[in-house]
Amino acid sequence: MYKKENHIHELYTTPKGSVHQCDLTDKIYLTFKDSVLAFKIQDFLMFRRKVHAVDIHEMIFNLSDKYDFEVIESQQYQFSLKLTLCDIIQLRELLDGARFTIEMYSMLHEVLGDFEIA
Amino acid sequence: MKDLLRLRTSLKEEIEIILNAQCKMEAEASQKYLAMASWLDRNGFAKSAEYLYAQAEEERQHFLKIFKYITEVGGTAITPIVGEVPQEYPTFKSVFEAALQSEIAVTNAINKIVAKCREVNDYATEDFMMWYVTEQREEEKNARRALELFDLIDSESPTGKFVLDKEIAKIGEAENE
Repeated sequence: MYKKENHIHELYTTPKGSVHQCDLTDKIYLTFKDSVLAFKIQDFLMFRRKVHAVDIHEMIFNLSDKYDFEVIESQQYQFSLKLTLCDIIQLRELLDGARFTIEMYSMLHEVLGDFEIA
Repeated sequence: MKDLLRLRTSLKEEIEIILNAQCKMEAEASQKYLAMASWLDRNGFAKSAEYLYAQAEEERQHFLKIFKYITEVGGTAITPIVGEVPQEYPTFKSVFEAALQSEIAVTNAINKIVAKCREVNDYATEDFMMWYVTEQREEEKNARRALELFDLIDSESPTGKFVLDKEIAKIGEAENE
């Protein structure tokens, strides 16, 4: 989908996926479960909030079939993810790690001004 | 590496979240006032019902003002989901007790936003929220005045409820003129 060049920065990687930032397109690329999804930063943060809003307690304890999966969709980005409880936990870890890195870089920019951060 | 977070907005995510929460609270307040107005109307208190219909509209304007501010500064405004609001009230007075309680809760929430803005150095949002601080002082005063009228006018007297209904409708008239 994209080559790892100078403008691609790794934000966070786990055994289940990775998140990269592209400085050419100003997009965040999420690689998870055979899919690569590209988000604008605001939409990435919204997506993270959506994943966090999933009631995992209900998924664990409710025996009804409809709680076996959670479907997270985006019409704008044309994807639909069918996520199990494990997927949700793993995705949360990945998204939280990426958000931490994004926040940290933002803080560095704030403190260091216009210095180039590699 | 670019700072994507600040490329489009200076609004911090935590401020965006509490502003969206405030949108929900204002929208809920609007719905509550609407339910109160409906109760008053069907129980014969036509004039105070009109007063609360106007309050419901005002709360909706408060909600929209924050909603538009979020998008204006580059954030994502989320249409709030408003749950069930109480539709029944035991007495005429209890409607206004609930109204005051709701206004105090809104004031507390606004104070928390201002405190958070100061904590993260978001002075633009703080400045924006100061309008709400002044507005809430007025809203609380009006809600308290309604309850004061219940102390001044004996609602059990022959024309008590009728007079109360008329007097409550006059609250806030001075500032609207």
